[in-house]
Amino acid sequence: MPSVPSQAKQAGPDSGQADRFSNAFNPAFSFIVDAALDYVDLDSGSDEDGFDLSLRILEVASQAWVDPSAWAYFVGAAEEEGLNIEEAAVHYVGLGSQTTLRAGRFFIDFGKQMQTHVHELRTLERPLALRAYLGDEVKGDGVQYDQWAAVGDKSALRWSLGVFANLLPEEAAYPVADVALEIDERKDLGDLNFTGRVTAFRDVSENGTLQLGASARIIPEYTVLDEVNDLSEAELGNEVFGVDLTYGWIDDTGQRRWTLGVEALANSGDIELSVLDPDGTPANGDESLNVKDETVFGFYGFLDYAWSKYRSAGVQYSRATLSDAAETELSEIELYTTRWLSEYHRLRLVGVWSNDDTADEDSYRVALQYTAIIGSHGHGINW
Amino acid sequence: MIQALLFIASAAGIGTAPGASAVAFVLPSEERVRVLATIPDLAGFVREIGGERVDVDSISRGKEDLHSVTARPSSLVAMSRADMFVEVGLSLEIAFVPGLLHSCRNARVQPGSPGFVSVAQGWTVSKAPAVLSRQAGDVHPQGNPHINLDPRAGLHMATQVYEGLVRVDPGSKALYDARFEGLVLRLKQAQTRWSAMAEDWKGRKVATYHSEYDYLIEAYGLESVGTLESKPGIPPTPKHLSELVANMKSGGCDAILSAQWSNNDTLARVSEAAGVQAVVLPNQCAGMKGADDWVGMMDLIHDRLEQAFAKSAATK
Repeated sequence: MPSVPSQAKQAGPDSGQADRFSNAFNPAFSFIVDAALDYVDLDSGSDEDGFDLSLRILEVASQAWVDPSAWAYFVGAAEEEGLNIEEAAVHYVGLGSQTTLRAGRFFIDFGKQMQTHVHELRTLERPLALRAYLGDEVKGDGVQYDQWAAVGDKSALRWSLGVFANLLPEEAAYPVADVALEIDERKDLGDLNFTGRVTAFRDVSENGTLQLGASARIIPEYTVLDEVNDLSEAELGNEVFGVDLTYGWIDDTGQRRWTLGVEALANSGDIELSVLDPDGTPANGDESLNVKDETVFGFYGFLDYAWSKYRSAGVQYSRATLSDAAETELSEIELYTTRWLSEYHRLRLVGVWSNDDTADEDSYRVALQYTAIIGSHGHGINW
Repeated sequence: MIQALLFIASAAGIGTAPGASAVAFVLPSEERVRVLATIPDLAGFVREIGGERVDVDSISRGKEDLHSVTARPSSLVAMSRADMFVEVGLSLEIAFVPGLLHSCRNARVQPGSPGFVSVAQGWTVSKAPAVLSRQAGDVHPQGNPHINLDPRAGLHMATQVYEGLVRVDPGSKALYDARFEGLVLRLKQAQTRWSAMAEDWKGRKVATYHSEYDYLIEAYGLESVGTLESKPGIPPTPKHLSELVANMKSGGCDAILSAQWSNNDTLARVSEAAGVQAVVLPNQCAGMKGADDWVGMMDLIHDRLEQAFAKSAATK
C-alpha cells in the first residue's frame, strides 16, 4: 500500500491548498491594452489641435473565488506614477437568494454605462451627459447590496443600494468654475454618498429584449474650495438621477443585432458655482463665492447595428446643459465602426463632432482605436 | 411591490451560493422536473426520456453559433428555477453558461450538484490541444466540443441525461427506464441506418467553415481539405481563403459544409471561386425543417451529405 505523506494526512484530500508554494489555486489574470491615434480640430484655434498617439489604458486584472461564498477581483490601471487601483472588491454571495454584498472599491451602479470601463464601451468615450454630470468614471470605496428576483417567466427585476465614502469625480470633465470640490474624510452617517438603481429586463419577443432602469447618485454634503481667493462654501449637496431604456434585437442565427438605448439625466442641487470678483483682480479680498440651487438636464441615445459578430457600426448623440451661470448647452455626435479582428482584439474608427451651442463653437475628432484583451476576461450579466 | 417580488424569489426555492456542497433535493411526486438545456438537442433527449414528467426548455433556438449565444432574461429566470441543467460541456457554451450559472444562484444546478449534467463527461474527445495558446485561435482546452454533431455520440449523450434525471428524481426511475430503453433502441436503429448510408463515404473530401463537423468527418473517414476560418474562431482572411481555394481546385473537394450562422457571403464567394457546392447543415436541432430531434437532425445531415456526394460524383 503506498504511503501517504504526513502533511496530506493532516490536511485531508479535500482541505484545499496544503503547500504555500503550490500554484494550483492561482487566480485568473488578464490585461488589456487600449491605444488610440487621433486628430483633434478645435474651433477656437487652440494649440491643442493636431495628431496624438497615446496608450490610453493598460489595465491589469485578476479574479478568483475566496471560498464557496465569496469571490474577489482587482483591476489596476498602469499610469506614469504607478499602478492606480481602479477596482478591488469582494463579492459575498453567501446570504442566500439572489443577493450580492459587494465591498471595496468599485464603479458605481448607475445606468448601463457607468459600471463598465472605458475600453468596454461601444464608443470611444462615455456619453457627454454622463461625463458632464457624473464624471469620466466614478468609482468609490464603499459597500453595495443588490438582489434580483424573477417576475413571471420572462422578466427579472434587480435593485441595488450602495453607500460610499466619496463619489465626487477625481477630475471634473466640465468644470463650471475654477474651484475644487471636496468631501470630508470623516463624516456623519447621513453625509455618506449613496447610489441606488432599480432595473427590469424582459423578453418582449423571440428575438427582442427590453430593459428599463432608474438610477440615483446622491452626495449629501460637499465643500467648494477656491484656493486662489481663499474662499470656501460648505454643506452643499448634489444629486444626479437617470432613467434608461435599452432595446436589443438579435436575429435567429445570433449574428445580426440592433441595439437602441437612451438615458435621460437630471443634475440637481447646489451646482451652479461661480466666483464673483467685482474688480477683476484676484485675491484682493473683494471676491465671493456664489452658489445657487439649480437643476439641469441632459440625455444620450444610441443606435448600434452589428451585421456579424465581428463587424458593427453605430451613432450616439448626447446633449447636456452645464450648471454654469450661462447654462452652456453642449452636444456631441459620435459615429463609429468596429471591426473585431478576432474575439480578442479590435479596431474602431470613430468620428466625433462636438458643439457648444452657447459659444457657437464646433470641434472635431477622428480616432483609430485599438484594443487587445489578453488572458481570462469575462463579464456576468450587464444589469 | 419589492416585498411581493422577494417572496416570489423565496418561494421559487432559490438555493445558496454557487460552489456550495451538493444538496439532496427531494422532488414532490406531483411536481414536474424543471429542466433547462443549453441546446435543443439535449432538451429533446430530456423530453424523450422524461415524457410528461419533465418541463424542459432550451437556451439556444436552433440556428445560432453555439460559441456566441446571447442568453435572454427568461433564460436566467429558468436557470434560477431549474431542478436540472444540461450542457454539452468542453467549454462549448462558455459564452453564456458561466454568467448564467453565476447569477442564477441556484445550488441545485451548480457543477458538482446532482442537477448539473455535462453530457461530454466521459466522452473521448478529438483534437485536445497539446499546447494551450491563443496562437492556435479560439481553441478549447479540453478538445473539440461539438460532440452533438457526432453520429456516434447519441447514446452517450442520452445516457448522461438519463442518469441525471434519475439522480434528481429517483422516484420516477421506472418511468425513465422504460422510456430510455425505447430511445436506446431508436438510436441503435438510426446508427445502423447511417452507417449503411455512409459505407462508401471514406475518402470523400470536404471543407468546413468552422470545425463544427470534425467528429462527423472522423466518424466516416472523410478527408478534411481545410476550414474557411484560418484558425478556430478566427475570421477568414483573404490570404487564407485564396490558399484554400487553390487547394480545393488542385486537390479536389466534394462539398463545403456550413451551418446556418456561417451561411454568408464569404461562403458563397469561396464556393463560386472553387467551383465546389456549399452544403448547409444543421449544427443543432430545431433550426431546420426535419431536425426536430437529434435523430431527425442526424437523418437530415446524412441525407444532405448523400445528395451532395452523389451530385459531386455526377459532375466528375
